[in-house]
Amino acid sequence: MTPLIHALACLLVLGLASFLWRGKITLLKESLLILAFFLLSVLFTILAGDLRDPNMELYPFRMLALCLCFSATTLHSKRRRYLVLAQVFWLWVELFGSLALFYRGFDVPWLRLVAIGGIAFGSSFLSRINREMEFCLMVFWIAVWTFF
Amino acid sequence: MFRLLMYIGLAFLVPGLAAVGFAVYEGPVSWGVDAVTFWGVPVSLFVFWIGLAHAGTLLSAIFLALNVSMDRRTALLAELSTLVCLIIAAIYPLIHLGVIGNFYMVAPLLDARGNFANVRSPLVWDFCCIAVYGLLSLLFFVLHLIGGAKSNMLDGIVKIRRSMAWLLFPLVLWVHTIVSLDFATTFVPEWRGAFFPAYFIAGAIFSGLAMVNLLLCVENYRVRLLEKLMLVGSWVLCALWLWNFLLKGDFCVSAFVFAGVLPQFLLVENVRESRILRSMVCFSILLGMLLERIFLVAPTPQVSALAGISDSSRWVDWGLIAFGVGCFIHLFFAVRRWLSKPIENDEILMGDVDEVKESEESASERNARAKYFPPLTTPEYRVLRLPVLFGILVSLLFCIWTVSSNADSNIQVSLISVVPVFFPIVVLVASVILCAKPLWYVFESRARWCFVGVCVLLAGLFGAFYAGGSSMPAASESRETRAEHAEDMNSYARTIMIWNSRCSACHGVDGKFNEKFIREFYPVPQKLTQQRLDSLGLDSLVKVVLKGRVNMNPYGDRLSEDDARALVRYMRSIAPIDSVVIEDSLATDSIPVEVVP
Repeated sequence: MTPLIHALACLLVLGLASFLWRGKITLLKESLLILAFFLLSVLFTILAGDLRDPNMELYPFRMLALCLCFSATTLHSKRRRYLVLAQVFWLWVELFGSLALFYRGFDVPWLRLVAIGGIAFGSSFLSRINREMEFCLMVFWIAVWTFF
Repeated sequence: MFRLLMYIGLAFLVPGLAAVGFAVYEGPVSWGVDAVTFWGVPVSLFVFWIGLAHAGTLLSAIFLALNVSMDRRTALLAELSTLVCLIIAAIYPLIHLGVIGNFYMVAPLLDARGNFANVRSPLVWDFCCIAVYGLLSLLFFVLHLIGGAKSNMLDGIVKIRRSMAWLLFPLVLWVHTIVSLDFATTFVPEWRGAFFPAYFIAGAIFSGLAMVNLLLCVENYRVRLLEKLMLVGSWVLCALWLWNFLLKGDFCVSAFVFAGVLPQFLLVENVRESRILRSMVCFSILLGMLLERIFLVAPTPQVSALAGISDSSRWVDWGLIAFGVGCFIHLFFAVRRWLSKPIENDEILMGDVDEVKESEESASERNARAKYFPPLTTPEYRVLRLPVLFGILVSLLFCIWTVSSNADSNIQVSLISVVPVFFPIVVLVASVILCAKPLWYVFESRARWCFVGVCVLLAGLFGAFYAGGSSMPAASESRETRAEHAEDMNSYARTIMIWNSRCSACHGVDGKFNEKFIREFYPVPQKLTQQRLDSLGLDSLVKVVLKGRVNMNPYGDRLSEDDARALVRYMRSIAPIDSVVIEDSLATDSIPVEVVP
């Protein structure tokens, strides 16, 4: 996958995230939306990536995790809690995906793991998350996605 | 009703026990073993039951942590189902190992007994994670039961449940992630999947929800939220099956029908409202998930063909399934009957042990939030973050020690290999600290010293476990096999039978080296190629068979020297095929594992 397509995935995720948690939050509606986003991510991965590359096994899950991180910033209440949870989900996908790939001869992306872990840990200490802080977090996530 | 269910459980359990006994007696040859993965029904059942074991504590912990109200009966039943499922799940790996005594080797005690445990192995990770999970789930359940007593003295201990929920919630996910790595870290093409953690967790939660809903149907009870979650679970799993199919072309149709299609009937109101139909949907999901686990563990159609196992011997597989089902039904409803009083106390909502006090506490908590606290002194920091930080410190020390004390040159321990045991250690240490203070105040002065005594005793037992034991665990404990007594058979058939019942667990039924098992369980051993066998010589190998060596169990008390010689000759006869196949597979799969020449 080329860096441009990879960055495009981030853009797609950013767009999808804005549809989550709108209006009244119900379990079935949000679950269906998340599943639809996951299927879109699968479609994107099939079209833009090479499925023979083991790194692609993880790609839709990474997209979904990033989508949840972005979307958590739009929540009205308990934003810090769900921001941390979304980032931990991203860390979990990356960490154990890397571990499985390590046993198949791939290097562990320590920098990416440390960056996500660090920001998840750090954001658990935030007392309130204002718009500026949201923007900073989103820039950081985009940077991690694109460069690490 | 519960008594009747206990009898039904017993009806499954008795033949199941016979199958378990036979499986332990005969070893891995008694059940169907997949020719590629070397795994069979015991591992499928382990994954299935450990999956079921996740929903209870997870539901309880996640709802408590996120302030979702759930009635006490549902939460207690779910937590109890976790404990019973864990007990059953723990039995299958013992059967799978062939020689039960060898289980001692998976405890990550490093080189304390002169035998370095393979910290790279997912089996070691499994042991660590499941042991901690079982212990804390039990504690969580007991705290919940105590909560019903509404005693002021116990208030302190009940309050720590919410903090424990925050520790247990990620731990549950962590444990099943580790179980998924049993598959994802191997070289079997069908298990190629860096996404397996998500896949396994979705399956575990889904099957666990079905189990909890089924138990609620038995209770004639209903929680609509859990039904909705079950429906969502089926969608998630269908999406994951689709991804698995797109990647590898693997698809289990029966699992899709039972666990993917039939649950959609929950969208029909008549089905939702009928207790029997709801139960049937839950049962269908459980059946579908069991089929999916069996398909996953043994993906090749020629299961057991290589082992020369006839269809008639597959009764053991059915027996092992019956054992799990029977054991669960009997044990669960026995405990359910015994705990009728606390479980049927429907007044109390989970997380709201005393609603009046709780609302007062919320007000005081709100005041506390408005108050300024100097850094590192907030109640949240003292109650949860400090124990967690201490746990992280201990866990870091353990990891550094593990990586630095790499006593065995056969294992290349890297930092990422130790990561899976990191979090369970953090949670264990944090939970001990969390519980220590409230427990201290629960007991009266004399009882406190008893409590200290029990702790010292437990520490002593752990010490004995740590330091004791030999690196030759099965010297006296393991039972003799039918093959070792079969005097009337001709010698060649007898040799093959002994090989299959004793040696195949490690060396493979066809002598191809059960590489998967060995690599994951022990430090990678030396390769038994024809050249190596020739260089060692017959007498030396016979001595190893009779007296044992490192991880090899001694068989001198059960086999004659002639038997040992026949085994060595048999091993040599199948060695040449072995070396070619293994080298080919290693070359094509590029696995970063060193095989010592």
